[in-house]
Amino acid sequence: MEHTETMVERGRSAPSVLGSSGLSWWKWALLPAMGAMIFGSFHLSTPMRDQAAFEARHNDAFRIVYYHVPMAWVTVVAYFTSIWFGIRYLRTRKWQDDERAVTAAGLGTAFCVLATLSGSVFAKIAWGAYWNWDPRQVSIVMLLLIYASYFTLRGAVTTDSARGNLSAVYSLLAVFAVPFFVFIMPRMSPSLHPARMDMSAWPHKVVFLSSFLCFTVLFFWMLQLALRVHLARRARQREIV
Amino acid sequence: MNGNYIAMAVALLGWVGLFFYLVRLDRRFRDGEHEG
Repeated sequence: MEHTETMVERGRSAPSVLGSSGLSWWKWALLPAMGAMIFGSFHLSTPMRDQAAFEARHNDAFRIVYYHVPMAWVTVVAYFTSIWFGIRYLRTRKWQDDERAVTAAGLGTAFCVLATLSGSVFAKIAWGAYWNWDPRQVSIVMLLLIYASYFTLRGAVTTDSARGNLSAVYSLLAVFAVPFFVFIMPRMSPSLHPARMDMSAWPHKVVFLSSFLCFTVLFFWMLQLALRVHLARRARQREIV
Repeated sequence: MNGNYIAMAVALLGWVGLFFYLVRLDRRFRDGEHEG
């Protein structure tokens, strides 16, 4: 019983690695920061407005770049966080690290789905179809499939230690797969995605970079909360068992 | 442009809603209500 209480306590205190357990200043700062970013993203001229190649009626669709790209970025951050905890599990063999890895992977997959959907909406407006077999579209779906396999693998194993070991070893594969599908494969063939966006005006840069920052902070806050829930639930399950 | 204002209002409201939901979760788990 004493052991289980320690686990519940750990479940609460473990995420303090990623932030304090109280509602700290950076969480409150996120409210006006994200609000200002949203306001800026709708009030600035769009990054591609002056490009003759893009029809004027499509300009507003480019505002999605302030959300779509940071969500794809958070996907990569989440998957690398998951890989990091997976590798740590192989060293420590603590179930908490396995739980952290799967929680980060779950959030990464949620952001990956959001990035895919927001990209598809833009693709429909800009390129005429939700799905164009663009290298970036294919690569993000490959990532989704890789992590769908990760969750399937976890679901197929009932023993805690075997599930943790297999997941962590599978994460080692993702060390190579994530950078390949995000950074290398999309650059290997011509893409409908713009090679570079005109972010020369400083307001665009400020909003774009603050969006990256806001989404990253939001991810770590969500990860902290999800970890508290999962670790406490897992500790309780172990108490019942 | 009106569409932009509506979209911005929806995005801002959605963000404020998500933020206070996260605040509520944060306080709830800090206070240990989840154990009840």
